[in-house]
Amino acid sequence: MGPLSRETWAQRLGAFRASPSAFMAGPEGEDLGRDLLSELRSEKLSEQTKISLLALSLEYPAQLWPDATAAEAAATSLLDTLVLLPPRPSALRRPLLLAATTALVAGDALGPASEASRRLLPLLLGLASGRDLGRGFGPASEQRPLQATACECLRELESCKPGLLGGCLGLLRGLLGQEGPVQPLSLLLALALRNTLVIQARARARAGLQGLLMAGDTPSGGEPWNWALAEEGDARLQPQAPSWPAAEEECGLAVLEPTPEEARELRAAVAQLLDASYLLTPVAQAQLLWLLGWALRGLRGQTPVLFKPQLVRLLGTAQLTLLHAVLALKAAFGEALFTAQDEALLLRRLTVAAQHPALPLPAHLFHLHCLLSFPENWPLGPTGEEAAPLLLGPRLCRGLLPSLLHDPMALLARLHLLCLLCVEDEEKEEKGQDGSPRHYLEELLAGLRQRAALDGGPRASATLCFQASYLVVQCLATQPTVLTPLTHGLARLYRARPVLAPHFVDLLDRVGPELGEPLRVALRQEVVSRPGRDEALRWHLQILAEVADGKAQSATLGFLGAAAAHCTDWGLQQALLRVCRALLRAGVGGGLADLLQALARQWEDPDGRDHARLYYILLAHLAGPKLGVALGPSPAAPALASSLVAENQGFAAVLMVQEAPAPIRLSVGPHRAAGPGPVLQLHVEVLEPAYSLELRFRVEGQVYAPLGAVHVPCLCPGRPCRPLLLPLQPRRPAPTRLDVRALYTTPTGLTCHAHLPPLPVNFADLFLPFPQAPEGDKLGFFEELWDSCLPKGAESRLWCPLGPQGLEALVSRHLEPFVVVAQPPTSYHVAIRLPPDSRLLLRLEAAQEDGVPVALRTDDWAVLPLAGDYLRGLSAAV
Amino acid sequence: MAQRAVWLISREPGTPFCGTVRFSRRYPTVEKRAKVFNGASYVPIPEDGPFLKALLFELRLLDDDEDFIESRDSCSHINKTSVYGLLIGGGELWPVVAFLKNNMIYACVPLVEQTLSPHPPLISISGISQGFELLFGVQDFLSLSQKNDTELNTKLNQLPDLLLQACPFGTLLDANLQNSLDSINFASVTHSQKQPAWKVGTYKGKPQVSISITEKVKSMQYDKQDIADTWQVVGTVTCKCDLEGIMPNVTISLSLPTNGSPLQDILVHPCVTSLDSAILTSSSIDAMDDSAFSGPYKFPLTPPLESFNLCYYTSQVPVPPILGFYQMKEEEIQVKITVNLKLHESVKNNFEFCEAHIPFYNRGPITHVEYKVSFGQLEVFREKSSLVWIIGQKFPKSMEINLSGTVTFGAKSHEKQSFDEICIGGTAYLKLHFRILDYTLTGCYADQHSVQVFASGKPKISTHRKLISSDYYIWNSKAPAPVTYGSLLLSESLCLLSERGKVRNKIT
Repeated sequence: MGPLSRETWAQRLGAFRASPSAFMAGPEGEDLGRDLLSELRSEKLSEQTKISLLALSLEYPAQLWPDATAAEAAATSLLDTLVLLPPRPSALRRPLLLAATTALVAGDALGPASEASRRLLPLLLGLASGRDLGRGFGPASEQRPLQATACECLRELESCKPGLLGGCLGLLRGLLGQEGPVQPLSLLLALALRNTLVIQARARARAGLQGLLMAGDTPSGGEPWNWALAEEGDARLQPQAPSWPAAEEECGLAVLEPTPEEARELRAAVAQLLDASYLLTPVAQAQLLWLLGWALRGLRGQTPVLFKPQLVRLLGTAQLTLLHAVLALKAAFGEALFTAQDEALLLRRLTVAAQHPALPLPAHLFHLHCLLSFPENWPLGPTGEEAAPLLLGPRLCRGLLPSLLHDPMALLARLHLLCLLCVEDEEKEEKGQDGSPRHYLEELLAGLRQRAALDGGPRASATLCFQASYLVVQCLATQPTVLTPLTHGLARLYRARPVLAPHFVDLLDRVGPELGEPLRVALRQEVVSRPGRDEALRWHLQILAEVADGKAQSATLGFLGAAAAHCTDWGLQQALLRVCRALLRAGVGGGLADLLQALARQWEDPDGRDHARLYYILLAHLAGPKLGVALGPSPAAPALASSLVAENQGFAAVLMVQEAPAPIRLSVGPHRAAGPGPVLQLHVEVLEPAYSLELRFRVEGQVYAPLGAVHVPCLCPGRPCRPLLLPLQPRRPAPTRLDVRALYTTPTGLTCHAHLPPLPVNFADLFLPFPQAPEGDKLGFFEELWDSCLPKGAESRLWCPLGPQGLEALVSRHLEPFVVVAQPPTSYHVAIRLPPDSRLLLRLEAAQEDGVPVALRTDDWAVLPLAGDYLRGLSAAV
Repeated sequence: MAQRAVWLISREPGTPFCGTVRFSRRYPTVEKRAKVFNGASYVPIPEDGPFLKALLFELRLLDDDEDFIESRDSCSHINKTSVYGLLIGGGELWPVVAFLKNNMIYACVPLVEQTLSPHPPLISISGISQGFELLFGVQDFLSLSQKNDTELNTKLNQLPDLLLQACPFGTLLDANLQNSLDSINFASVTHSQKQPAWKVGTYKGKPQVSISITEKVKSMQYDKQDIADTWQVVGTVTCKCDLEGIMPNVTISLSLPTNGSPLQDILVHPCVTSLDSAILTSSSIDAMDDSAFSGPYKFPLTPPLESFNLCYYTSQVPVPPILGFYQMKEEEIQVKITVNLKLHESVKNNFEFCEAHIPFYNRGPITHVEYKVSFGQLEVFREKSSLVWIIGQKFPKSMEINLSGTVTFGAKSHEKQSFDEICIGGTAYLKLHFRILDYTLTGCYADQHSVQVFASGKPKISTHRKLISSDYYIWNSKAPAPVTYGSLLLSESLCLLSERGKVRNKIT
């Protein structure tokens, strides 16, 4: 792209600033960084345009040169441009230095391996020391501002790479003592000193602090900057002013114990900085105090008295930063620097500053915050909580109390103080006479409510009233003398202006029961005792939906019944239904059912009607807990904004059956050969409580008649349950598998459905004994059965292997109930009834070592292979 | 201590965005540190558009105040300082220091050198006060001798260069932007080692020192048995020292006549080199007694080049300069008013001007006025529903003047009549506006001989004084009025009430 004109650039920069992300995503985005660098050397552009280009690079280096390589290249190019400037005065030198520094830091390119860093650092240090760097660096008149700028650049590098200038302390001290510009050098030295102290303390290694401080202006060992120290510091950036009180352990400065010589040298350096601090601008003085305060904090053998001479001067000023810096010193040194009298004086100055008519409101508010977070020498309360300092008595506070004429923020801040005073007042058991803080608080709240009650008043005054009420409840929740009038006042406010209903709902949601309970009652009374129409009705219903519970049912229902007739539009109907819903959840029964039925009949809007009917059905069919869950927040979608959607989700979840992995294990117990038909004995175990369990069975291949479901009211893990009996009605005597499904309710009220593993029904599970044979002629009975099988049936002989236990054991274990004639241990006649109407007869005779020959007959040929398999499997089955 | 970004936003109600970003500046190297320090709680600085929207929403400056919006209107969303959290892109940008002044919103985001959740207390964040100073500095610069939009634009156009000077890397070097502007122009001046950073050059010319004392008197008068009247004087001493040399030493003393009221709550300019402890401790918080330090108040200092506020003070004078009562009774569409004002005999009866403004809020336009004044003239502003009683330069010999009358109002139309949250029903006030030149209520003065200058040449010293009314309210005594805690009948304030009795007696 060719050189661009001034106008084109102005346009381009404008477009970029309007939305950097959109511009960079556009077609011109990619080239911007490159164009900008090349245009800086163009001779056609004016200096002013170039400065605006550099200003852009100062703000958006990450967008222009997004990675370290590009940043490094950009910094190199900026440095080249700087060197190539003609030796006449130019406004570009300062911004070029700033831009190169910014590019390196923001692009993460700063480091010992970066060529641009290795060029920039000596250049900056040279400029900062006021050395003559040759003709490229402009006329003498520019040296002074450039020296200051170089110091600023170095300070920024040291901020981002703490420890980098650890080797320059002596050099900087020397410069400060000579002719250098006081402010930039002071701040740079203070920062470098502090970082060095902190890093050395952390690394628990001292590279001779004294040496560093004394080194003079020719640092030993080549490069003065200390990448190694910077690497140590890099592990964690150093807060320049760490927050108190957590900083105690963070800094870990206490471990650094300087030798007496070092301590002396350090003291001299700090004193040098403080003595010249008067020459710094107030904001820079404050920065210096923060840095030095935190540098010396906890350093053994260093008393903070060095700061003392500065304090009186600082306390007299109206400067926010200076007072703040004094507070930082207070927090850092406490009693070591501030006696009890000093503390009292500081508090008084702070109190004055928090209300001085000459200071602007934001300063008042900040001072008030400082007052309530005041770092006391001997704090009583828990740290981190706002509280009135002990020395700040009611007398000092008098000018800091709120009045209706204050701006909302000032009012809230001062109200907080007033509440804190009321707490103390209560402790002193002063009753609320006229003129007591509590009496004043009540008057003030009443005034706020009066303002909020104004018809057509701004939302902000309502918000303020509720914020104030909330604040008071937070601070004075335990004082009924405050809460009772507050409750009544709020109820009156609602009566005056029902349109504030959303604020009431919000307040009820946020306060504890101390105010919440009585306020609910008061609001409910307020609503049900004065039926409204239209707009007011909408708000009444919103309030009722929040406050309706099981109490005062008849009044509430009466109100709703009367209101229903006025609910002609969908919105009002929904609002009324929300109240019904709240009542349903609260477990209100009878009257509500009538109301819902009436609504379902009376309303014309189908949605309202359907909802009313649905609620009625829910009320009629679901037990209390289930109803609660059905109407409660949906577990499936807990964070949905719309109550309607949430409601539907809730219904869907609760009224529909959820598919779930089974928490139930089902197994078949020992066979019971008794009764008219085969019965499976089932054992159930659960992993979590299940209620209203219903087990449904389906027979594979329909070989049995359909099976009835089994119901269990309640199952708990670890609590044994009676075996469940499942009668089978075989259509054919055949084994099969049962497909099992479980339907149950979880403790959270959801109904779940689970598919369990299929249950096998074995051939033997169907065996039934014959009715008792006539006594004395068992053999005859058997022979009769045996004969009756043929010719319709089938006969077979097979070899039944015996295990080591022998025939007797085998019979007693598996066939005992069916033995008709037994001649142990050699011969057994077995008759088995197979429902629906088959029989299986076995003769086991002449057992040998490893088996027994079995003759079998059945009247159902289809049984034969099953019987064969069964017998052959017996020995294995044990 | 550094700032991550600074914005200036002009408020434009009625436009689609309700405001425009007039200036913004980001500091990427500070942002880099913020990312490391804040860790998981880091929220990047948004682009101007989203920031504007979020800030105006939080400050309630969008035109959608109609509905209850929980994130803004919830009772637990309490802001007690000008520091906000803005919901932007799913995160909370905090702390945003912001305030509105003259339809301009000043905002910045200070660096917090630790994690942001939970929020550390503001007192522990050095960048907060630095941020305030930066914004105050920008505000001072913009409001200095600014008269119209063109001048504002010129100043806004100077801001990028000025901040490049005063805050190149986000760490503020000088909150006095005018200084930075001068230093751009003063670049050729040779500096010596002792040059203070807040003094960019040296003065060349005739030495002169100018000191002016401006006192503002505020008052709340109720004329009620159970509420005490209050009044307070707030003084500002402004100096301009045109003296040669780099660090000329000057001592300025303020004196009081024998019956003068002691100065209290004295706040001095940072150029004051030392301060007497009596000055530091004299405070309005304490009960007054005769032993109170009553000067002379000595301020040794090294003056900056520009005009500066040497000190601010407050004072509790024994009587208000004008004591009055205002009675207003509503009778259907009209109100009956009676006003009585008395100038205290000790006050210089020579005003530059003196007026009583009597506004009627939450009513329709004035349709008819019948009145009688014992002195001065009454002007009627029908559409604004207010009366202005022009008293003029002098009170009459009796020192007491009266106004009585009946004001009739038309139907209220919402667009024109201003809404007031305080003046509801009978609650109403009249406000006095007056100015007296060459006079202070405390008696405080700086005479030419009390100024010591340790510099070459004898400077010409000029001094000025004036008293101005400010927030001087007299409330309708026939209806409730907003009170401050100090006005409530406390045991201490009994003496104030009896004071009023004394004043009454003296006047009558």
